[in-house]
Amino acid sequence: MEKVIIVKNLIKKYGPLSAVDNISFEVNRGEVFGLLGENGAGKTTTLEMIEGLRKPTAGRIEVLGTDVQKNLRKIKEQIGVQLQSSAYYDFLKLREILNLFASFYHKNQNPDDLLKMVGLESKVDQYVRNLSGGQKQRFSIIASLINDPEIIFLDEPTTGLDPVARRNLWEVITKIRAQGKTIVLTTHYMEEAEVLCDCIAIMDKGKIIALDETHKLIEKTEFPYRVEAICEKENPKACAEFAKIGQVSNLGGKKNNISVFLRSKESLAKAMKILDQYNIDTFSVGRSTLEDLFIELTGKTITDEENDNG
Amino acid sequence: MAKLFIANLKMMVRGRQALFWSLAFPLMFTIIFGFFFGGTKTSVGTVAWINNSQSPLATNLEQAATSAGLFSIQKETDLATAKDLLQKGKIAAIVEIPADFGLSKPGAPTQINFINDPANASANATIEGFLSQYLTNVNYQIQKAKAIYSVKSETSTNNNLNYFDFVLMGLIGLALMNSAVQGIAIAMAKYRQDKILKRITTTPLASWKFVFAEVLSRLVLNLFQVSFILIIGVYGFHAHIIGNIFLLFLFALLGGLLFQTIGFTVASVSKTEDAAQGMSVAITIPMMFLAGVFFPIDSLPSWLFKIVQYLPLSPLLRMIRQIGNQNISPLSNPSNIIIVGIWIVVMLAISIWRFRLSDE
Repeated sequence: MEKVIIVKNLIKKYGPLSAVDNISFEVNRGEVFGLLGENGAGKTTTLEMIEGLRKPTAGRIEVLGTDVQKNLRKIKEQIGVQLQSSAYYDFLKLREILNLFASFYHKNQNPDDLLKMVGLESKVDQYVRNLSGGQKQRFSIIASLINDPEIIFLDEPTTGLDPVARRNLWEVITKIRAQGKTIVLTTHYMEEAEVLCDCIAIMDKGKIIALDETHKLIEKTEFPYRVEAICEKENPKACAEFAKIGQVSNLGGKKNNISVFLRSKESLAKAMKILDQYNIDTFSVGRSTLEDLFIELTGKTITDEENDNG
Repeated sequence: MAKLFIANLKMMVRGRQALFWSLAFPLMFTIIFGFFFGGTKTSVGTVAWINNSQSPLATNLEQAATSAGLFSIQKETDLATAKDLLQKGKIAAIVEIPADFGLSKPGAPTQINFINDPANASANATIEGFLSQYLTNVNYQIQKAKAIYSVKSETSTNNNLNYFDFVLMGLIGLALMNSAVQGIAIAMAKYRQDKILKRITTTPLASWKFVFAEVLSRLVLNLFQVSFILIIGVYGFHAHIIGNIFLLFLFALLGGLLFQTIGFTVASVSKTEDAAQGMSVAITIPMMFLAGVFFPIDSLPSWLFKIVQYLPLSPLLRMIRQIGNQNISPLSNPSNIIIVGIWIVVMLAISIWRFRLSDE
């Protein structure tokens, strides 16, 4: 498979602080690659170094076969960038902004087609400030497509959006991917990464702590299966039985709610027997999620705080 | 880049606030100063004129006073009423011509009364000067004498310049300074805050092209500013521009460039839009008073003058006034263009050193 981005031993230091600490990864053509991590983990810094906006302290970055340090202008022609929480001109209409940005590139896509793609065709003569949060983000994404780029970079495209707007944006990302473009995105929403990304790098404190195809990553967890049971009343006996075969947690704090994390299919079968034995009828069986892996790796839950230099 | 330039102009027109500060604000000043000081002849105020005499001399004096246009005349009959008006400040002075003044009969009064407010010295001098000169001429005629000694007065330039002409050139400088310093500083700080500058750097557009389009569109705005101020000053309030208009515009653009470099410097050191606004106001407001927009700065204490004559606006105004008010070459005293040049070079150097579209 063709590698469109190659990052090798990338380091970015601000004084004594290592924002990005010796990371390496590769992105294949046509895939959605996700950088996942908390705010401050170094996702945006990494992205901006690949885009050529920040200079690495050390390391090598190659985009579409070109060294970022050597021929940035050539790379800029072939990539599209959506910045985290970026605004556009107050007094230009949507089509005017797209036309303006189109004039910066050799290659262009039709602004009206792009607006149509994200359902903003009725807003062509509106100002950005008249758009809703979700519409702004969709506009921001198509603005990064104006030069028909081969790779687009989306920095936290869904942060701060309501669930409906977020799902709309997932559809947009899926459409872009269907056009054969490579997408690199950052997010701190686990389920988003799980739904959208072919391949994920989990970052923590400037380091990549896990990197693989999404499904393989999840299978790597120590406890890939999970059973959640709701008893009619407190059931310490059943809990004790479960504890023998897996890890019991009571994360929600509800007394009668038991979550059991299991290592293997065999223990899953045993768990079913215990449910039967104690007549527990309300239960669900599932796979563990990316979030479980993240907690396992970092020992913490991810936070949703706003932070500019995420 | 042409598209960016056109887009900038569009945004300037649509962003009414910027347009207000750069056009309406200086025009407002022009109109206010025009009403106070504009016009071909300057009236010092209104004189209550009480004429109790039927003599030809009294009638002639009144006619002469009316046509001289130095002050306007309000006819009154009662001295008490007039004094009341004077006390209330509604008139500048009272001229009372007593009954029988100017008639050649015994016991007729030979003096007219000039009642004035001592606080209004310049008006008093003008009115009293007019009256005594008129009466002196009458005296000569009666005595059939000729004046031997007289004053021949000559103004410093060939046209009758007044304070409004002086201040009009100052207002051009003020408009250039306000729109360029505040315009650039606030716009750039806002663009940075909104990450528009950073977004621009993700495109292949060269940074200098972005800056160039910005500078160029502001210079176009400067041309409009200067045109509007001149049109309203000259056609609305009879200002005199005696120099070369083309040269005036050329140096106005030089001023625009000078203040844009200051604007970029402010933008490069201020993190937020508010900071940029505060800083540019802190620069422009003192300069408005200390660089000679409204009054000649050489009337300031000499220690202060020694400092403020080097403010960026000061030499620019000196040159603009040399063109507009005196019709002499703005380069006749090269120190002015040198000071402006140094400011441009220094501010440009700081901007190039510190101003970045995005941070590292």
